[in-house]
This record gives sequence, C-alpha cells and structure tokens, in this order.
Amino acid sequence: MTVAIELDQMILNIAAIMIEELKLEDVTPETFEPDIDLVDEVGIDSMDLATVALVLRDKYAVRIDEDDYPKLTTLRLISEYIHRKLAARG
Amino acid sequence: MKEWKFAELIADPAVKERWERVRRYFFLRESTYDMTRRCNIRCEGCYFFEGDKQHAAETGDPEAWRALMRAERERGITYVVLAGAEPSLVPDLLQVCYQEMNLGAIATNGIQRIPESVGYRIHISVWGNDETSLRIRKAKHMLARQIDNYQGDSRAVFVYTFTPHNIAEAAEVAETLARQGCKLTFNMFSAPVGYSGDLRHTPDSLAATRRAMLDLLARYPHNVLFSTYNAVAHTHRLGLHDLFGCAYPRRNPSTDLGLGRSFRQYRTDLNWDREAACCVPDTDCADCRHYASGSAVVTARLFRHAVDPDTFTSWLDYVDTYLAVWVVDYAKGANLCAKPVPPPGFDLC
Repeated sequence: MTVAIELDQMILNIAAIMIEELKLEDVTPETFEPDIDLVDEVGIDSMDLATVALVLRDKYAVRIDEDDYPKLTTLRLISEYIHRKLAARG
Repeated sequence: MKEWKFAELIADPAVKERWERVRRYFFLRESTYDMTRRCNIRCEGCYFFEGDKQHAAETGDPEAWRALMRAERERGITYVVLAGAEPSLVPDLLQVCYQEMNLGAIATNGIQRIPESVGYRIHISVWGNDETSLRIRKAKHMLARQIDNYQGDSRAVFVYTFTPHNIAEAAEVAETLARQGCKLTFNMFSAPVGYSGDLRHTPDSLAATRRAMLDLLARYPHNVLFSTYNAVAHTHRLGLHDLFGCAYPRRNPSTDLGLGRSFRQYRTDLNWDREAACCVPDTDCADCRHYASGSAVVTARLFRHAVDPDTFTSWLDYVDTYLAVWVVDYAKGANLCAKPVPPPGFDLC
C-alpha cells in the first residue's frame, strides 16, 4: 500500500470493510455517506470501532490509537486518519 | 518480535468460532439503577451505604420506572443492572423493568427469592462461609438460605467476594455450591472511598486469592465461571483503572463513545450524577478490582489485546466469562488459554 492511494478510493475501501465487518445492511460502498455520524446515525459504538481498527491495521499496517476512537465518528474522518498516517510514513 | 495480524489471530477455527460468538453481544449498552434504599441485612463495606446515594429519595411508583426504562431504551441502553440496596424487596419494580428491557442482571443478597417471571441474570452475593457471613453480614445460615432459594434456577450465579480473610474458606463454599449444581464466579473486595477497615487487599492476599481462584477453576470447571486471565486481571497489584484505563464516566471525560457516552448510574430518585457514575459508585478507583467493573473495562480493550495468540485468547476467555456471568442463556465455552498471560504492557503480578 502506498501513500499515492487517493482519499476517495480509500473511503470506498474502508466503507467496504465496515459493511463487511459490521454486517451493515441496505448500504454499499458507493452509497455509504462519508459524513454520516457513525455513532448517532448508524449505531456503531466503541467495540465496533475497535473491530474495524483491527481489520484496518491488517490492511494498511496503520495503528489507530484507542485514545483516537472518539474523534473518528465518520467514515471520512477514519479514512483521513489512515491517509494521514500513511502519508506521514512516506 | 512477530507482529501478528488480526486475521492470523482468528485463523484457528476454535478461536474464530469464539470471536464470532462473543462479538454478537457487542450491542450491549449498560446502565445501572438503585432500586430501593432498603436492605434486609447490613454488611461491612457495603457500597450502597457509602456516599450520598443512600440519602436519595425512593421512587416506588412502577409507572415512573416504566417511563425511565422506555427513555433508557430510546437513548440506546440495551442492558440494565438493578442493584442497591436490596432489589428483591421491590419485586413489582423489577417486573416493570423486565417488561420494558429484556436483558439485564440483578444484584441481590439472595435471602428473598426474586419471582421467576423476572427473567434477568441474578447475582447472589456470597462473602464466605456461614460463620463469616454471620460476622460480616449479621445474617444466619446465609449460604443455605441462598441455595434454598436459587438451586436449579438457571438465572442464578453465586458471586464469591474475596477479602483477605475468607480466601481459605472459598474451597468449602465452592464445594457446597458445586455439589448443588450451582454456578459460581468470583469478585474482589474493592475498598469504598475512605474505607479504613481490614477488608482491603494486600499484596499477600492478592497472591493467595489468585492461587485459590485458579485452584477452584481447575477443580470445578463446570460450575466456576472464570478464566485464568480473569484471575490475573483481578488479583494484579495494580487495580483495573491502572491496568486498563477505566471507561466509566467517573474516570473517563469523553462523552463521544462507549461507556463515557451512554453509561449512567441512577439513584433511587431516578437522577444520576456523571461525576459519580460507575458500576460500583464510591469505590476507591485505585483499589477497584470489582468483577462488574472488569466486565466492561477489560472487555473494552479489544485492540490492545489483539497482539499475539495467547493474549488474544485470554481476552476472549475473559469476554466469554463476562457474557456467561451477565447474560441469561449464554453458555460459557471451554477456556482457550490456561496459561497466565500478563495484561498488555505490564508484568504478571
């Protein structure tokens, strides 16, 4: 995985992971609204986010710190977080 | 040192099966409720009769409780813990709660049987043999009365609280309970704030308690709901907050996610105070090794336990134990890791 990956593509990839891992229904990567509030509007909570964080760690070799979970309340914020960490790695 | 991928950690079919089984319960969102200020006994070191909550007005109106439960459901609560002081004294309120919220547990001293129509897990507190109970709880023939009330009741889990003074007698109590086919788990006395009595654990009593827990787990694997990692996490020289970072509002300022967002501890007047909110209010956080606290605090730390097979399976055993202890009809699986594994970032003791 390189930093060249575009944010938009990353959003789609992470949406697919979330749909698969959290068994979200009635949504596809393409229709997953990146700015929807995952906690308030999708019903995702800390254990769900920890699960997604583990799968993202496998895929991108990026660690999401437990202290950062509360900030990652949308698909876009998660994607930007991963993107930023990959970019910092160079 | 090898960096394990999560996919590798769950590659073993037995581990994968357990992971899939426990994750189905990630939807549980708890809050706790003091049901009444009354109790039929007085125990030394009782959490309820510490701090301000014992002075809150009592709400005996079932419809007020029904409205509260409905409001709780609306804000996403899916699991209720009914406690303080002695919930069996208000069975009509328990019934209303169960009608509105079908998952939960009741913490009782077990002297008065809770009607079968209340289908929650029932935790019956045991503080030693009858001699010890008479001394600390001023109640006669406590264990026999508890067993009479709950033997053969699939809701019941007996909770043995270890103090520095009842470690040896745990074997006698566990043998009695196992002989009667009862389920048993372990708790640790955790001192209330300002407590100066002699029930507070010491390094020696923590080590002895760990040995006793592991011995009883080995002797009665079908009756004792526990794991090696439970024993390690709850008898470490450091309390749960220092080891794992307590996620309850009292210790967690974040209101964005998890317990910090949703957990409330309601008093009998149906109000709650974020500053005091945790599963055992008025406990000295530095000394907290309480089983209820661990059920949330250790369970929440999935990410940091997903580092190697032993640590991850130890965490799975812990979560499997938590679910068996708290959820009616959840059957505990065989533990996956018998080896003592230190909490991530710490040593074993």
